[in-house]
Amino acid sequence: MRKSLRIGYVPLTDAALLHIAKGQGFAAARGLDLELVPEPSWANIRDKLAAGYFDAAHMLAPAAIAVSLGLAQVKAELVAPVALGLNGNAITVSKALYEAIAQQTGEVPAGPQATSQALKRIAAKRRGAGEPPLTFGHVFPFSTHHYQLRLWLRSGQIDIGEDVRLVVVPPPYMVDTLRKGSLDGFCVGAPWNSLAASAGAGVILHQGLEIVRDCPEKVLAFRAGWAHAHAEEVHAIGDAIGEAARWAGERANRGSVAALLSEAAGPGVTPATIEPVLAGGRGAGAGLRLDEAAIKADPAHALWLYAQMAAAGQCVFSETLAQAAAAVYAPGLGPQITAPSAIPIAFEPPQFSPSDVHGYFAALRSK
Amino acid sequence: MSRDLRIAVVDKNPLRAAILEEGLRAAGHRSVLRIEETSNLLERLRAIDPDVILIDLESPSRDVLEQMFVVSRSVARPVAMFVDQSDREMIEAAIDAGVSAYVVDGLRKDRVKPILDTAISRFYAFAKLKTELEAAKSQLEERKLIERAKALVMRAKGIPEEQAYALMRKVAMNENKKLAEVARSIITAAELLG
Repeated sequence: MRKSLRIGYVPLTDAALLHIAKGQGFAAARGLDLELVPEPSWANIRDKLAAGYFDAAHMLAPAAIAVSLGLAQVKAELVAPVALGLNGNAITVSKALYEAIAQQTGEVPAGPQATSQALKRIAAKRRGAGEPPLTFGHVFPFSTHHYQLRLWLRSGQIDIGEDVRLVVVPPPYMVDTLRKGSLDGFCVGAPWNSLAASAGAGVILHQGLEIVRDCPEKVLAFRAGWAHAHAEEVHAIGDAIGEAARWAGERANRGSVAALLSEAAGPGVTPATIEPVLAGGRGAGAGLRLDEAAIKADPAHALWLYAQMAAAGQCVFSETLAQAAAAVYAPGLGPQITAPSAIPIAFEPPQFSPSDVHGYFAALRSK
Repeated sequence: MSRDLRIAVVDKNPLRAAILEEGLRAAGHRSVLRIEETSNLLERLRAIDPDVILIDLESPSRDVLEQMFVVSRSVARPVAMFVDQSDREMIEAAIDAGVSAYVVDGLRKDRVKPILDTAISRFYAFAKLKTELEAAKSQLEERKLIERAKALVMRAKGIPEEQAYALMRKVAMNENKKLAEVARSIITAAELLG
């Protein structure tokens, strides 16, 4: 029997596996008709998934956790049986700020610790001159983009609020806002960094994986009640995503993946803009991983994200909440993946260990 | 009588915003401010300090509003999305209409609900108007096509206007096509052969 699934997504390159599962017939082969519905905001994704307009959604992993914990306006118990990839973000700064940082570090390119410390000195100088703090954009309060910025800024002991203000800017407005000078930099996913660079509005300062290697990113989220009642469909879409990941992981398909990704990201994005985003290119790539090991919904990722949320002051830290966060990742409902999953590794200590989340959180806070 | 509520309307469609503003004013709200989506939306909102924010669901700027409840020091008063989890109908009506509302903390539900109701009905009114406008526009375009095709037929066959029109109608009926489609084919053929 054929079943149809209505899935909301935001037109970004990391919605790729959904497009591959549909476009290559991997979902249809499992009796599923996928209706992929683009949405302009993460708030819409959250509201429409919670209200039952979607059966599933391409969702920021921390947003799925926040909705489940009741931290993000609408409270709904969600589950993520499968992830949609790892990495893919980058930090871009305005040309002026890039030059100021390069002047401070004396070497280009410099590592994230050196650039963060340089930024601290620039911010201090601005403060002394009575200028407003630097402003960096990210995409949503509960997003890895937000946490990656925080981890980077933490390195130079930058005061968020005094030295640097963090604001949410919708990705389609990022480049223009940077060009107009209302933003000094941003952390965003593909294709927006390459677009800012090719438009001459900014310079990519750090790839996301220079800040956190194998950073969790998007998941396929369902309402928990629905997922348990429709376990067959949930398994089927998970398997289709699994096949899509194996397909995307094959070198021979790289060109097709780039073409599909550019289509998924919307008009004005060419495969040439996308190709550098894919993992494999040493140094150059943002390292978006779409391979099979990258889609494992490992509860350790949820714990890492929960620690970031608590460190950002978005919620208190408690073992109960940590367990609730971990429970959002439900690999039991997802595809069977034998490959070991990757644990996020930041560029500087503290290093995360799923067996001591509290210790990790405490270390994050102490600086 | 409690004081006038300040309402901010965030919508990049000026016509819909005007229709909504008019509806709110008709309902007795004197303090309605329209904001076009800009890069400094948050600053604009901070300056206006509204009690209620109405925003188009198609606007990517919804995510900008999301930070208002998280970063409390960025706004003077805490803001929350107007959702009553017990009131599914209300949520669905708003999603169907394509509008969403945010309110300052502590504002009573019975004061906000009529505002959202007005927004929902005005969003529908706009959608209807848009459909009608598009229908009128395509009708006008079809009429122009038919006129051009008729002139081509008159010239090619040396027949008067009524006969050319009758001929086109006959072809349309026989081929089970719209008159405008036949007209478009005639124009294409004339461009190819002429």
